[in-house]
Amino acid sequence: MQRAIEYAVLFLVMVILQVFLFSRVGFSIYLHPLPYVAFIVLLPMEIAPVALLGLGLLTGLTMDFFMATAGINTISTLFVSFCRPTLLNLLAGKDEVRDGGIPNVNRLGFKKFIRYAGVMSFLLCASFFMLESLSWKYFHITALRIVLSWAVTLLLVYLCQRLFSVNRKKS
Amino acid sequence: MIKFFLFIKKIHFVLIFIVLEAVALHYYAGSTSYTKARLVTVSNHVAGGIYAQLSGLNSYFRLKKENASLAAELAAVRNELEGYRREIAGDTTLSAADSAALLDSATGRKRYEYFTARVVNNTITRQENYITLNRGVDDGLQADMAVIADGGIVGHVLGCSEHFSVCMSVLNRNFRTSGKIKGTDHIGSISWDGLSYEYVTLSEIAKYAEIHTGDTIVTTTHSSIFPPDVMIGTVESFTLNNATYYDVKVRLHTDIAALNNVTVVKYLDAEEIDMLEQSVGIPPSR
Repeated sequence: MQRAIEYAVLFLVMVILQVFLFSRVGFSIYLHPLPYVAFIVLLPMEIAPVALLGLGLLTGLTMDFFMATAGINTISTLFVSFCRPTLLNLLAGKDEVRDGGIPNVNRLGFKKFIRYAGVMSFLLCASFFMLESLSWKYFHITALRIVLSWAVTLLLVYLCQRLFSVNRKKS
Repeated sequence: MIKFFLFIKKIHFVLIFIVLEAVALHYYAGSTSYTKARLVTVSNHVAGGIYAQLSGLNSYFRLKKENASLAAELAAVRNELEGYRREIAGDTTLSAADSAALLDSATGRKRYEYFTARVVNNTITRQENYITLNRGVDDGLQADMAVIADGGIVGHVLGCSEHFSVCMSVLNRNFRTSGKIKGTDHIGSISWDGLSYEYVTLSEIAKYAEIHTGDTIVTTTHSSIFPPDVMIGTVESFTLNNATYYDVKVRLHTDIAALNNVTVVKYLDAEEIDMLEQSVGIPPSR
């Protein structure tokens, strides 16, 4: 129960940060970080796959609603949620997944976490920006947008993970 | 049968994913600028108030600049008015009553009506950017009104709720209007290629056109949204396309990234023109 509340708070914080800060502040055309993926990254490892898809759908719909993207976020978050169990098994190891817990640095170690969060946020950024551009004409521009936004997204996901872990230690 | 259910149970994760993804893709494929604008209109019921607060906070830091630009605009308008006054006064063929009537333009038939509004939400980093204004139906705004700031084009209204309006920004890949080189009749089409928030493209300018870097590009009389002769920007560079048309890179006059107060313009004749065109124009396809 307490964990559910914690995740609800994380969800709210991520939505607020994304909608009112990261999607609003126009740094550059090449930089549009999507740190809300941290919510999907940090869901517990023992979560049922269907619940994972459900939460991915909820995240995507919420972001689409506020960002007026008519489906791009939903498509991307569903895809990321779909890939998550396989990614965790591959990158963190089946034993870790079986033991459950939150996939953060304390649990997985820095290297494994960065690899896992990196691939997750890359998949999100890649599908988001490719769907947004929908053309091969400026592929180099899209690639640059993906790479820069991905780098910043990963950094932000890492920071979120730290804050979320601190919160857990206290409680 | 049991085997079938077991099979479904085994692949239900993939199945649910495919179904949900298909629905999302279908919705995205069928979406238009208007669906997206409607989405913003609805989400503004939730987030609009907060956007307004945030932008209000933000505008405090720009008051000085805003004042300077307002003063400059006022001076320009006064100069223009003075020019008309002198012209009318110098016209000896007009009687005193006529020139007085001309001066009193408020009694004449207006072609455009102006509203002011403040930008509460504006993105520039996406491929389809939208602007939210803090005025809506209750303040007299409606769809297809032009949005102008600093004397340059910004976008046009797509839809309104009671207190907010959603506008398509010039920085939207679906944005189209016509533009011409000031002082000539060479007309082309303005669009955004999604690359930089400082530039738009003016295409289909005939190769006979005399064009130089630094030339001013303005709106035309062909638009039922934008008043004519509003600044779009200045020519940055141009290339001859297929030896028939120029593609012109235009530096936008208005800094879309730093929008605060904008003017919304209603073309009062638009409805009449639309109705007339519909009544004599191509009959709707059967």
